[in-house]
This record gives sequence, structure tokens and C-alpha cells, in this order.
Amino acid sequence: MRQYTFILYVLGMLIFSCKKANIIPEPQAYRLEVPADFPGVPVFADNVMSRQGVELGRMLFYDKRLSGNNQISCASCHHQSLAFSDGLALSTQGFSGKQLPRSAPALMNLAWENNGLFWDGGSTNLESQAFGPLTNEDEMHQNLEELVYELQQIPAYVKKFKAVFGDDIKTGYIAMALAQFQRTLVTGNAPYDRYRRGEPGAEITAQQKIGLALFQQHCATCHAGVLFTDNEYHNNGIDADFTNDALEGLFLGRFRITYNLADLGKFKTPTLRNIALTAPYMHDGRFKDLAAVLQHYADGVKRSATTDAKLYTNGQPGLRLSKAEQENIIAFLQTLTDDTFINNRAFSEPALP
Amino acid sequence: MKRILTLVTISALFLGSCSKDDKKDNISPIGQATLTFDSRVNTEDFALNKDFTIGGTKYKFTQLRYWVSNVSLINDKGETYNVPNSYFLLEENNAIDVQGGAFSYPARKREEVTISDIPAGNYKAVSFSIGVDAEHNDNLSLQAGELSQLNGMTNISWMWHTSYIFSSLKGSRIVGTDTTGITVETGLNTNYRSLKVDLPAAVAIGGKTASIKFNVDVTKIIEGLDLAKTPVIGASQKTEMTLVADNYSKKAILVSGTSNK
Repeated sequence: MRQYTFILYVLGMLIFSCKKANIIPEPQAYRLEVPADFPGVPVFADNVMSRQGVELGRMLFYDKRLSGNNQISCASCHHQSLAFSDGLALSTQGFSGKQLPRSAPALMNLAWENNGLFWDGGSTNLESQAFGPLTNEDEMHQNLEELVYELQQIPAYVKKFKAVFGDDIKTGYIAMALAQFQRTLVTGNAPYDRYRRGEPGAEITAQQKIGLALFQQHCATCHAGVLFTDNEYHNNGIDADFTNDALEGLFLGRFRITYNLADLGKFKTPTLRNIALTAPYMHDGRFKDLAAVLQHYADGVKRSATTDAKLYTNGQPGLRLSKAEQENIIAFLQTLTDDTFINNRAFSEPALP
Repeated sequence: MKRILTLVTISALFLGSCSKDDKKDNISPIGQATLTFDSRVNTEDFALNKDFTIGGTKYKFTQLRYWVSNVSLINDKGETYNVPNSYFLLEENNAIDVQGGAFSYPARKREEVTISDIPAGNYKAVSFSIGVDAEHNDNLSLQAGELSQLNGMTNISWMWHTSYIFSSLKGSRIVGTDTTGITVETGLNTNYRSLKVDLPAAVAIGGKTASIKFNVDVTKIIEGLDLAKTPVIGASQKTEMTLVADNYSKKAILVSGTSNK
């Protein structure tokens, strides 16, 4: 009995002595699960992931309150079923209904996108990137001050921000939570991955294997490694005329950011994971299907000062792929569709406060 | 008895562990200082919407804004006090449309920065930067000082650099009946400049509020630019931006005096 009294006493001291500090539980560390053969997970020291942070980011990602008219969420243009793309060339689903000048990128394996976000890399990290679509008048058109006010009216959000960031709701925390959730969108469990890892029963077809060999020969320099991107910027020869400097240089590719003439017409190499789900293709969605893309690389590449040298064959632009070779590569690309990714319940719309 | 001793010890431990916030060891006296950045056009006071003649050409300005950041004060013992969260937006501007007009940033004149909690001492130099360090410039979500996405000093239009504008001088250049708008801005990480200013005489901080005054001469900000040829200086005019950044750190900002009020 004396033993119990003693324990109770100690517990009592624990509870009362530090009561103030114990009201808000500490956020729990979030460990990003990645396939064993993926690159190591980078550390995001300025925005350390937590279970609560990811959960909050997921809610915000799906919450239409993040737009000026409360009708558009991030997920409106980034559908999980399409590997977080929207199936459109140039969307008109934004606040103004005006056609957007670039295609909504698919969201995958963003934790490793360390060389700029957006098609031209205009944003250094997800935390800064979020302010683009949030505030753009043709996209979500959200007045940030108003957004903070709106979220402050929802006690569950106030509590969640407090739990994650130990502070009141601020615009920066909204971007940080969104970034935490987006970094969990890891895909690496497609049939090709299972085949590559030699998992029992995992197989791809003979045609897909031929396509894989062709892919490694012709495409893997840029669509490199297990992430299927080199995170670099290339002019893949879809345009050769860069005289149109409308919309603050929007058609000039990476040049718009670096003002380096060598970057004219360069756009970021997208990952090819789940590529069968993310049509139409290119930064403006000009190619409706993979056949059109392969046709382009085979003999549609345009010559210009910045067209990537790897896209020339014997001094002529284009990879000179036969129809059969193109079909074999397309067959291989089908093996990159990760059903576990598009069906992962952890990425789907949660109950919103 | 042993049990009681244990209890006492444990209690003491708990009490001790949570008293950190209440204890104030080594209380040293602290003071306050005001830094004033007085905008000038040569010897005249800077004003908006007013004609000035610079190098024989008429100018009329609509805004002057720049970040003063990472302020440090150096005392006569050579000790440095780094002012925490020091990101201050100095400005004189007409109302500014923010987020494409979603809301308006009001007209404002702000030339003073007040810094509190400075350890008492005699201070002989101030150092600060013009612009925003790369860490904060590359990550708009980091909140420090007056950094904000809401004051029109960020560039977050569609698929564009998401970062801060370091300095912005806007207005028009008037030649005869021709009026050309001018914009002189910096904002690349390479435009970030730090400067150290030795005070003419050491200033005492700890008693009455210390005052340190600088003159910021707009004619020096644009010195060396050919605004007839290049009236807009922004991200695509790297050479000119470098010149402007150097002008801020080397020529435009000079200490004009110190006092205690």
C-alpha cells in the first residue's frame, strides 16, 4: 500500500509540476516508407515531418476552403486516380474559368524533387510553391489573409495547427503542412518494380522486356534511375521558335527563371512513373497519348540551338525509332503503373473538419 | 525516514525542473535603440509624387521599399549582439495591389526600426543586410520578423520565382513631354548584401533610447544606371541588378549621426 502511495505521489508530481507544458502533445515523428532500392529520404530540417503534420496537410490538400470561392481544392486538379494529375491539357477549372497556360503536373515522389518545382523550376521547394496556385487569380485565387481568418473559425483546425506547429494558424504553416503531405506521395510498387526486385511471381511480358531494353538505350539518360527523372531541364525539341515572350516569358521554358540563353525551351524532365495515367503529355498537354509522344521522339524533334544533343541521330534530330520499337517502349511504360499508389487510402480524401 | 528523504528529493527534482522560466539568472540591464533610415534625394528629403532633378533629368517617384535584415550591434568590447528575427521592411509607398488586386497594401511611410532588449553597453558599429538571406528567400513558408507573403514584396504569380523582392524603387522619368515608367528592383540571392557601418561616436544603449540615423540617398541607388536605355531593372537585367545591390551596400546608406533621447 505504501508502495502505491509512493507511485501516486510521483505521478501526481509529474502531472501537476509541468501541467502547462503538457497540454499539447508533441507531434509524433513520421517515418516515410520508401522502397529499399530508392534513394535515401532527404532530411527537411526546416519542415520536419510529423504524423499530425501529414494528416493536417492531407486535410488541407482536399479542403475547398483553400480557394477564394471555396469551390476548388488542390485535389480539384490533382486526382489520385490519375497519379495526382487532372487528365486535361490546359485546365479551365480554376477560379476565373480562364484556360491555364500550363498543364497540371502529376504529384509523385516529390521528396526527391530537389531541383525546382513547376515545369520551369521557378520555385525552390514545395513550401514556396504552394503560394503560386493558392494565390493565382486564374487558379485558387485565395486571399491569404482571408484564408487564415477562415481557418481560424474552425476549432478543429486551430487545434491541429497548434499540435503540429505549436502556434496559431499562419500562412507559412499552411504551406508547410501541404508540403509534408505531398512528400508522402511515394510510388515505387509497379509491376516493373516487382519484376526488377525479383519478387516471386512478378513478371513482365516479352514485348515489355524488349521495350525496357530500348528504353534504357534511348530514354534513360533523362528519365534516369528508379525515379525515372534526372530532375534536370531539357529542350526535347517540341518547339524551335522562342520569340514569343508573352506572359512574362511563359513559353521560353527554364530561360524564364535563369535568363540564360542556353535554357531557352528547356522544361523539367517529368518522372515516367504512372505515365499511362497522366495523359495528355508535355508542359502544355499537346500530345494526347503515348503514341504521339513516341512519334515525336522518333521523328518529330525540331532542331534549335538548345535542342538536347541526345535527341539527334547521325546529326539529324530524332531518335529514328521504328513503329515496332515505339510500340515496344509504350508496352514497357505500362509496367510503371502503380495500382497500390492510386488506391492507397492514406492519400485519399479524409473527413474534413 | 529514508522514504521521506526520497520524496523530498524527488519533489525537489520536479520543482526544479519546471522553474526554468521563472528564474532569471545573470540579469543584465537592457536597452533600446532606434535605427532611422531617412530617405533623401541628394540633400532634399525624399517624397512621393514630387518632381526631383537628378543628373539633369526630372524624376517623380511612387515607391521606395527595401528589406533591412539580420541586424547586429557591435559594442566597444568587440561583442556582437545579433537582433533576433530582424527582417524589417523600410518603405515609402502609395497603396499597392497585392495578389493581382485581391487586396490592397495601404500607402505607408516607415523609416524607423526600434530594437529592444539590447544588452546595455557602448556600441560603436552596426551591421545589417539589404535583402533577404537565401535560406528565407528560397522558402516563403519560414516566418521571421516582418517577412510575409502579404506585403507585395513577394513574387508569386503563376509559375514564377517564389521569392522576395529585396528592394524596389518605382516612379517615372520625365524628359520634355515624355514620361517613362521606371522600376529598379533587386531580388536574386546573389543580390543579397551586408554592410557594416562604424558609428561616428560610440552610442550608449541601456539608458535613454539610443538613436542611430542613416541617410539613404536615392540618387546613389540609381547611380551608374542608364535608365533612358533600361528603364526597367528586374530579374532579366542581372548586371544592372548587381550594380544596384552594390549601390545600396557601398554608396546609398551612410550614417548621419547618433544621439540619446
